[in-house]
Amino acid sequence: MTRRLATIAGALAFVALLLGAWQLGALYGAISPIFFPSPVRTLEELAKQVADGRLWQPLGATTMRMLWGWFAASIAGVVIGAAIGLSRTAREYLEPMLEFLRPLPASAVIPVAVSFLGLSTQMSTAVIAFGSIWPVLLAAVHGFATVDPQLAEVSSSLCLTRWQRLWKIALPSAMPDILAGVRVGLGIALILAVVTEMQASLPGLGQNILLAQRSFKSPELYAGVVVLGMLGFIANQLILGIERRLLRWRALPE
Amino acid sequence: MRPSRRTLRGLVIPIVLFIAWEAGSRAGILPMDTMSRPSDIASAAHTGFADGSILLATWETCEAAFTGFAIAAVIGLLAGIVLGLTPRLERIVGPTVDALRPIPAVALIPLALMLFGFGLRMEASVIAFACVWPILIVTIAAVRGIEPRLLEVARALEMSFFARVLKIIVPAALGRIVVGLRLALGIALIVAVTVEIVLNPRGLGHGMMGAQQSLRPELMYAQLLWLALIGWLLNRLTLFLAAHWAGGAIDVDRAGPAL
Amino acid sequence: MIQAPVIEVRTVGMSFGNGTGARAVLTDISFDVVEGAFLCIVGPSGCGKTTLLRLLAGLLRTTTGVIRCHGEPVTVPSRDRAIIFQDYSKALLPWRTVANNVALALEACGVEEPERGAQVSALLRTMGLTRAADQYPSQLSGGMQQRVQIARCLAQRPRILLMDEPFGALDAITRQGLQDEVTRLALELGTTVVFITHDLEEAIYLGDHVIVLAANPGRIVERIEVGIARPRSQLATREDPRFLAHRHRLFDMLQDH
Repeated sequence: MTRRLATIAGALAFVALLLGAWQLGALYGAISPIFFPSPVRTLEELAKQVADGRLWQPLGATTMRMLWGWFAASIAGVVIGAAIGLSRTAREYLEPMLEFLRPLPASAVIPVAVSFLGLSTQMSTAVIAFGSIWPVLLAAVHGFATVDPQLAEVSSSLCLTRWQRLWKIALPSAMPDILAGVRVGLGIALILAVVTEMQASLPGLGQNILLAQRSFKSPELYAGVVVLGMLGFIANQLILGIERRLLRWRALPE
Repeated sequence: MRPSRRTLRGLVIPIVLFIAWEAGSRAGILPMDTMSRPSDIASAAHTGFADGSILLATWETCEAAFTGFAIAAVIGLLAGIVLGLTPRLERIVGPTVDALRPIPAVALIPLALMLFGFGLRMEASVIAFACVWPILIVTIAAVRGIEPRLLEVARALEMSFFARVLKIIVPAALGRIVVGLRLALGIALIVAVTVEIVLNPRGLGHGMMGAQQSLRPELMYAQLLWLALIGWLLNRLTLFLAAHWAGGAIDVDRAGPAL
Repeated sequence: MIQAPVIEVRTVGMSFGNGTGARAVLTDISFDVVEGAFLCIVGPSGCGKTTLLRLLAGLLRTTTGVIRCHGEPVTVPSRDRAIIFQDYSKALLPWRTVANNVALALEACGVEEPERGAQVSALLRTMGLTRAADQYPSQLSGGMQQRVQIARCLAQRPRILLMDEPFGALDAITRQGLQDEVTRLALELGTTVVFITHDLEEAIYLGDHVIVLAANPGRIVERIEVGIARPRSQLATREDPRFLAHRHRLFDMLQDH
């Protein structure tokens, strides 16, 4: 117990040390306050944005953008992944193409999306969906393709219908892969939300931090980065929580 | 070497798609201004390679990706080895790492721009930030996973710290570290292109954006396909190297193209 | 009284691969099993006994010959024939609790709640699993996991129970307990059992009849009628002179082939 407390105290002391050095440096002009506003200034800016409500609209816009594209991608990824994963023929014809496309940076489709959809919200959603579908899709293909052969025999001998096999055997057995893919996909969705906001001047945190930089309002810029970090953290934790609930059976005391 | 049945089958759908694309555009079904057509793309690619513009852009993108990756590798490996060997220090620094890691690397683009202006340095710094976390995390885990008896042997032989790192720790943890490096190199390319597309006026990302804005879709697609090919080649190459150096080819591809 | 056989196996052959690469796994297998009988098939590893069981289950199709159950040729699995797999840890759904694993068989038969719940708890009681109902398979010992698999098979109310070395991986005491439990249940329910094992003593102890297979290719080299009355007991039966005589004969048999 005391060791635990000492560790927490140590961790806090480390953060305090970093922030303190930064604060002092900014205070005494050792580092430029234009580039590195002191942590206190950043927090003041953040508090001000929370107090006068300026934070919520861009935060909400970015969050919704991220969630919509990700949600569409996750559903489509699981469905398409299941179709490919369950059919050996589909795998033989499609897997090489998927493997070729996978390392393609998701942001590289931005110019294509812009030429089809213009600098619009639809463009942003399309790019986010395209980018975050890959981890889900590939994980679902893998998960559905590697259902344990013994379980396949069990479902045959129980004479399960096709639908029962899909729903009761294949989907739950692919679930760990799918959830891992969905989590990676959400991280990508946040990144692409920020990128498309910057690129297409869509309202949101991404555009805000770019505007803050252009007008050299560095506290605003830092505040935006902090909020984005928190958003990423919370999104990841939420999915981890869901994972822990759904995959309870994986981490059990013997 | 004869192409396998798998390779041949894998080629069927792309070839059919390309033919349909060309035919559809010649029949006037597909809009030329957004879709272009494969034959135009091929000739744009030919011109781009002949005048060196695509190769220059490729070099600029790769230069930034490798610079950022190298910075991240040095920091990530050193910090990872130190933190992996001293769990107490890791517990103290860990929460700070956990707090910084979820920041999307692209959120630092404006910051990097403010600090370095346009160019290689700002791009490489964003790439380094994105790449350092997977390398750091994997290295800590790899060093932590070394058979404790190996470390006892090192202590019994009274090796110096550097001898221990070079002769015991790095070889023992190499397999897993290579996995992290591979993942990071993929991320480096992705972030490089992203930064170029958003605002940095150099490299393939900027080239594609420019082609789109000057309404030359054939050039845009040519660069897009070229980029896909580079990504694929890089992936194959690192997979081969990882299998070659680290013995077991540990497939982390399932982790997907995280940024 | 002559009973019509429940299972008829007629000159069954099985080979994997085709053309010159074909490998014969089983040749010329013929036997009958009558209603309620307990047949043990024993043989060394690689003699094709697991393949034979999968053929009986309908999970594989014979290359030559025919298998009939209740007069109908076997080509696909049927809920009438339950199979208990050797590798219990892989044959249970790790994401379902014990009760829900058993319920799977009832879901397959279309049994709805609340009837399903009632049947599940009855089966769990029969197999002594009531206290483990809400646990996951990975939390249970091997013996308990095998009990779950048996409960799931009983849930489908099969007339034939096919068991593939079900106790091979269990420790001796657990194995003996389950052996007695399975024979008692089969007798009570009147279920016909085909039991695969590589353990001679287990085969003689459990079976009414024992068929001995030899390997390369798998073929029947001996069949005996055990002829020891039930209920049997782990101590007395295993010391019975007939048991020992069978054991000697089959042991020599397996040595020779």
